[in-house]
Amino acid sequence: MSFNVLIVDDSNSMRAVIKKVISISGFKMDQCIEAGNGKEALEALAENWVDVIISDINMPEMNGFELLERLKGDDFLRDIPVIVITTESSERRMQDAFNLGAKGFIKKPFSPEEVKKILYEVIGVNDEGEYEEDRGDDKAFDF
Amino acid sequence: MKENMKKIEEMTRHSIFEVFNKMFFLFLEPLDDKDNGYDMEAAIRFEGSMSGEVRIFLSADIVKTMIQNMLGLAEDDITERDIEDSSKEAVNMIAGNFLGKLDSTEVFNLSMPVFKKQPGDLEFTENACRMDFDSDGGKVGVIIAVNGYP
Repeated sequence: MSFNVLIVDDSNSMRAVIKKVISISGFKMDQCIEAGNGKEALEALAENWVDVIISDINMPEMNGFELLERLKGDDFLRDIPVIVITTESSERRMQDAFNLGAKGFIKKPFSPEEVKKILYEVIGVNDEGEYEEDRGDDKAFDF
Repeated sequence: MKENMKKIEEMTRHSIFEVFNKMFFLFLEPLDDKDNGYDMEAAIRFEGSMSGEVRIFLSADIVKTMIQNMLGLAEDDITERDIEDSSKEAVNMIAGNFLGKLDSTEVFNLSMPVFKKQPGDLEFTENACRMDFDSDGGKVGVIIAVNGYP
């Protein structure tokens, strides 16, 4: 199984790095959509379904916190897991992000292993990229 | 104040090493001689229980190495936008990393980083410190200035 990922960061280079790191990590990515800020992310989400969003916080026009708020208030989008990826590492900032619905937090600088681990954790799949509950279902039919 | 600046310098140094090692795959060596031969600058301001600014000075060759290592691009494919983005991202990561080390319970607001094609004045006041580094890929300098550190 492979997943669609939305990367939200105002830096072209950082989006390219995150994309590259996800590829290196072995995470099974199907479509990778990019947005330069929260506003562009919402526009992209109006046209594409994604399995997970990776978003920076400090961005022009609409920052990561505003994006989280908008997602939380949207019945259709609120269930998409969001991973916040940022240089800001204060505990209170992290708590603010979690309170707004973020499911994971990656601190820059990061390694491919860290990114893969958190991606699989928030999507709820194992190292093989299979949903944890699916593994249980498979066992139920394994006579 | 001098003692506090030493602490800040030490924490900043660790952040610089961590960012360059982990994101740009570059190992930096501290330079004792202050070198003013930099080609560009990126800076970011922070505000919280104390305020200040982190400025990073880069030689043209190290920025290219950073981008080549980070993005896997050939030298000819590197654009002005890549250079600006990577310089801004480097100073952003150094500042965020440093502030997290300084006090992870405190919230600091970071400005949007700014990039200058020509580096500004490398002079610094007593509330600031300067560090210079060398690597196989080129040279980096960092000035961190703080106000209100107890």
